[in-house]
Amino acid sequence: MLKSKKIVVLGHFGVGKTSLIRRFVTDTFSDNYKVTIGVHITKKVVVISPDNTISMILWDLEGTDDIASIRKAYLLGTHGVVFVFDIARPSTFQHLNDDLKIVSAKIPNTPLLVVGNKIDLVDANELKTTLVENSILVDFLTSAKTGDAVNDLFANLASQLANDA
Amino acid sequence: MYPKMDEKDKLEILKDILFADEHEFEQRISARIEVLEQTLNERNKLSERVDPIIEQQIDEFKASIPTTLGPVITATLKEEIKNSKDEVVDAIYPILGKMVKKYVAQEIKLLSEKIDDQLGFLKRWKRKFRSFVTGVNEEGLMLRDLAATKIEQVLLIEKDSGILKASYAKSQTMDEEMVSGMLTAIKSFVEDAFNQKNQNLELIEYELYHIHIQSFATHFVAVVISGNYITRSKNALQDIIFDFYNSYMAMNLDLIFETASNENSIVPAGKIRLEKELRKYFGNAKI
Repeated sequence: MLKSKKIVVLGHFGVGKTSLIRRFVTDTFSDNYKVTIGVHITKKVVVISPDNTISMILWDLEGTDDIASIRKAYLLGTHGVVFVFDIARPSTFQHLNDDLKIVSAKIPNTPLLVVGNKIDLVDANELKTTLVENSILVDFLTSAKTGDAVNDLFANLASQLANDA
Repeated sequence: MYPKMDEKDKLEILKDILFADEHEFEQRISARIEVLEQTLNERNKLSERVDPIIEQQIDEFKASIPTTLGPVITATLKEEIKNSKDEVVDAIYPILGKMVKKYVAQEIKLLSEKIDDQLGFLKRWKRKFRSFVTGVNEEGLMLRDLAATKIEQVLLIEKDSGILKASYAKSQTMDEEMVSGMLTAIKSFVEDAFNQKNQNLELIEYELYHIHIQSFATHFVAVVISGNYITRSKNALQDIIFDFYNSYMAMNLDLIFETASNENSIVPAGKIRLEKELRKYFGNAKI
């Protein structure tokens, strides 16, 4: 059975939201940074099991430094959320817990995955220190550039959504 | 006593008296010619030395035009265009005219192809019959057919999430689920941006197409239309949409449900059923 689900991908400017989606949908990466204006919508069908398929409608929202300012209309009817931050840029995760509280308040009772992107830019020790020092509980550490953990992230979300009605 | 003059001397004296002015003039001309000759000689000598310097100066001047005179020329042109709009229009009009002419010619060619198509044997007899029955002349019927409003695509979309519930399309276009999402995003943005309560985005115009959007409580119906979309067509289309919606969406709960099998039971209608009904309602609809 094919079910369609709306996934919202959000986070600060330039954290790699569009690149993550592009890596997942088309398995490509580009160094050219193009700012997303408004929202960009793409789709990928994920087969969970022979009789359970999810059509993921991915809403790539424009980046913002003020998560509270995201248009509520874009978040209505969301089935799953991916919150992305840039592991190499502290300004994108300094207020992570506050940002997550805002997101949860705007979209309550919705699966939410926290993703630290651009792990290709930091070494393993530095990464551990950053996460511990900033008390960050992260669900996935990804690199849209190398493709590390990108499919795992969306597969995980698809599995969570497949169990929903 | 004056010395005696012979005839020759007398003639000379007479010549002097008579041609005194001409003589002076001749001397002045000779002097001027002499000055001119001198100047020319000196100029030739001078030009040999000066010409290379002047040529170099001219070359340098040419090279510096873009940086020195460019901004001045641009500013002057801008000012001149601003002050002489009519003249500019006059100058550009012939060029634009040619472009417009080319475009119109292309459109007429397309129209002519469509008319040729309309002139097919069967169509011609059908039209003759319609003309006889309706009393409208054949040319009028032909033009009416060419500009006929047609439903190209219908999308039944969940209002909040933008998830596509069902669709009907005459020909396959791009991914309908993505189109549904994008339409929802545009609709949400416009309604949010203008911050008008109870106001809905109703129409999007896209070159030769119109996208009519009919909003309900939890769903909306987007209909892509080609041709001449006028108020009469809009009314006809709304009637069809309302009929469809009343049959398959419970107005109180706005849930998709089946009424055909059993009026008393509310069973969610599946995608296949909805698409079949969309085809039935919109497939051959005349608007």
